[in-house]
Amino acid sequence: MRPTPRTTFALLVTLGLVLAACGTSQSSTQPSGSAAASSGASAVPVTGGKLRIGIGGSPDSLNPGNGLLSESYTLYELVYDTPISLAADGSFQPELATDWSVAADGETWTMTIRDDVTFHDGTPLTADDIVFTLELYRDTADFPYLPSYSDVFDSITAPDPTHVVIHTDGQIGNFEARMVFDYILPKHIWETVDDPVAFDNAEMIGSGPFKLVENQQDEFTRLGANRDYWGPVPNVDEVIFQTFSNADARVAALENGDVDMITEFPATAVKALRDTDNVNVMIADPVSVSLRDYFFNVVDPENCPTDEGGVCSGHPALRDVTVRKALATAVDKQQIIDVAELGLGTPGLSFVGAGQGDFYASEVSDYTYDPAAANAMLDAAGYLDTNGDGIRECPSGADCGPTGDLTFRFNYADDIDSAPREADLLQGMWEAIGVKIEIQGLDPDTLTSVCCPTFDYDIMLWGWGGDPDPAFLMGVTLCSEISSGFSETGYCNPDYDALYDQQGVEPDHAARVDIFHQMQQILIDDVPYIIPYYQSNVQAYRTDTFTGWDESLGPLGLEDPSSLSVVSQAQ
Amino acid sequence: MRGRGGYLLSKVGWALLTIFVVVTFNFILFRVLPGDPAKAGIRDPRLNPDAQAALTIRFGLDKPTFLNFESGDPFDSQYFAYLGALAQGDLGQSYAFRDREVGDMLGHALVNTIILILPAQLIAIVIGILLGLLAAWRRGSSLDVSALIFSLFTWSLPTFFLGIILLFLGAQWFGLPTAGRSTIGAEYASFIDEWLDIGRHLLLPTLTFTLVLLGEYMLIMRSSVIDIFSEDYILTAKAKGLSTYRIIKDHAMRNAMLPMVTLIALNLGFSVSGAIQVESVFSWPGIGALTVQAVGQRDYPVLQGAFLLLALAVVIANLIAELIYGWLDPRVTEA
Repeated sequence: MRPTPRTTFALLVTLGLVLAACGTSQSSTQPSGSAAASSGASAVPVTGGKLRIGIGGSPDSLNPGNGLLSESYTLYELVYDTPISLAADGSFQPELATDWSVAADGETWTMTIRDDVTFHDGTPLTADDIVFTLELYRDTADFPYLPSYSDVFDSITAPDPTHVVIHTDGQIGNFEARMVFDYILPKHIWETVDDPVAFDNAEMIGSGPFKLVENQQDEFTRLGANRDYWGPVPNVDEVIFQTFSNADARVAALENGDVDMITEFPATAVKALRDTDNVNVMIADPVSVSLRDYFFNVVDPENCPTDEGGVCSGHPALRDVTVRKALATAVDKQQIIDVAELGLGTPGLSFVGAGQGDFYASEVSDYTYDPAAANAMLDAAGYLDTNGDGIRECPSGADCGPTGDLTFRFNYADDIDSAPREADLLQGMWEAIGVKIEIQGLDPDTLTSVCCPTFDYDIMLWGWGGDPDPAFLMGVTLCSEISSGFSETGYCNPDYDALYDQQGVEPDHAARVDIFHQMQQILIDDVPYIIPYYQSNVQAYRTDTFTGWDESLGPLGLEDPSSLSVVSQAQ
Repeated sequence: MRGRGGYLLSKVGWALLTIFVVVTFNFILFRVLPGDPAKAGIRDPRLNPDAQAALTIRFGLDKPTFLNFESGDPFDSQYFAYLGALAQGDLGQSYAFRDREVGDMLGHALVNTIILILPAQLIAIVIGILLGLLAAWRRGSSLDVSALIFSLFTWSLPTFFLGIILLFLGAQWFGLPTAGRSTIGAEYASFIDEWLDIGRHLLLPTLTFTLVLLGEYMLIMRSSVIDIFSEDYILTAKAKGLSTYRIIKDHAMRNAMLPMVTLIALNLGFSVSGAIQVESVFSWPGIGALTVQAVGQRDYPVLQGAFLLLALAVVIANLIAELIYGWLDPRVTEA
């Protein structure tokens, strides 16, 4: 709380009215390595201090089963331990489980559990707690996300306090990924709960490096260091997450020192923050991909899920892969990133992001922006502008939708700030190849009702936030998901489905990675989706109040509690 | 239904009827909108189908909206379940925050909103009335003209814009906090320190809200007093040789306050919801912010609760205004 006198000039910079031309990039890249690599000059970190972090939202639930928002998951990561954790470089590391192995049958997994872990209330954590937690997550269908990680475990047992044996229904290829969100709950508290969904978990007893001090929904969450933690004990006394629903207020709070770190700030503030003394800005690709997508209604009338309310009114021309390829070739992804996201993004390829390590198929080449080539493709396929109105008509005899030409309905989710700008850009890019879109923004709820499994649209702009493991998002394009409402496009390719089934049972990581690469290639070839960009994570922090920010953890940022364990008060 | 008792009774009766209509209207209003609350309420419209089905049953959304013709019990419907729970004071469970009671959420938000609006309203009322009185009394003077311009300016200023500007000025020049009610996790040396800290946090939002309200109070008060000053009984009072202070205090104020009471009551009722913009700018977790959030999530239980609360605030404020009216001007109760 230091009042910082500032000049009018600094104020104008903040308001974005002055474009300072002298901005120097302060974000540096360091080789990923030990956490201590960037902890500054001090050899012994200072213990104590309250680290304040300004965030945009607020955890929606202290009950790990109920959490929907990323803010909640950050909290769970800090307060709870998981059997296996995901490191910044995308590798899996031991946490509660010191090692794990699969038996010769490929279906029986055994984890060895640490014997020196206690919950925040002093009760020891044993294999029983892990069995209880995994069963609770598996069997509580109303938990929105967590049941899917343990759904294939048909038996979970603890032969002794330090071993957990899990038998799976068939072989699985992503055992480790299924363990990283299983926040282990104390059985002695949760077994007395009648309805786990209605349980507010106000005490939030976990075993992680931080313990809950106080939580006030939509205001703040205070976490205190767990001095008895089995792993690296945090240097700070407290970490305080404060909600600033107004992004400008969040930026102002970092500038005048009310907070030491902020996340999710407007792209317009990046330059101003870089020019602020003692403030460092970090931009990186997240390990859990966050992507924008433009997708097509390609559902085959034969696959129309009429029992689930399917209307399947998509424009027939969009079921022609040549049209979709031409549309993809006419999209200038870099321009969209520069205009709509002010450069804070990387060009997209498919459902796997560049931050997801070897799962990302970097060898697959995307459609290069080339309007002339796109025009040529449509000309060759017989889509010509026969009546001279600037919009192409379909080849003679083909069904060409209600307008008889390549005019498509285009809907976007109106809670996406950049969507109107992106839609305008697309309109211009596609106009250049004789394709017209009629743009309409809809609230996400209405968008869902026309999307899936109704399929009452032509093209949509939306977005996805994924898991570190690609299996979740890659499942969106399965034939079997057309009637469930999970498939947005109605896309169906048996080859793709076969590969998907294969990765599910492939225990070898390299082989599984290879399958995912093939699947990304198929999605590029068939173009049910255009992925214009992956969103970058942005964070900024003060360097004069706390030191030791580990920039090598960039991609994970706040998702990884170890970054909050290593920072310490500036001397 | 004559006299003061009848007046009171009929007013309370109308208030209760209004609230019942509001309850039913709220219920219908949110359900005629397109979309599926089971999906929207849990925020992620692309949730996996099993979880959707389980949540739909949990919240009773699988039941008919008004009357159940399929099962034996026609009242086994969403509407009657809602009315029944409401009668017991149970506002239900939030869709978006499934482990939280709507009543708790609203109660917490309401306290925050009151902390925000009450000081601002009081300051705006006192300054507005005094300024209006002064301007009317010195009508045509430079004081009157400047007060008039100032009031018109602040009244017409968009709240959101004023808030943002004050936020920047306050944060940059005076290092004032930009969000929250107090410094989180602070340890105070004394009680006074704690209140000073809360005061610093309240300064900007209160100032914003006060400025927005002030203009209207001043303008209404001014014109009301000017009207009264032209009445015959004021002339009579002057002719009797009474001092200006006595004229204003005993003859002008009570009459001039009639329109002010209406305005204050209406403003107090509506300001429970009207603080939305101030709450958004200063990240103030009040009723307004909660309502905006619930609209985005189509969180029916929270919306129904919030709208009920807002309606209650307006109805009760009006009721109080009517009662004060009856006291200020006894003619009203005889009508």
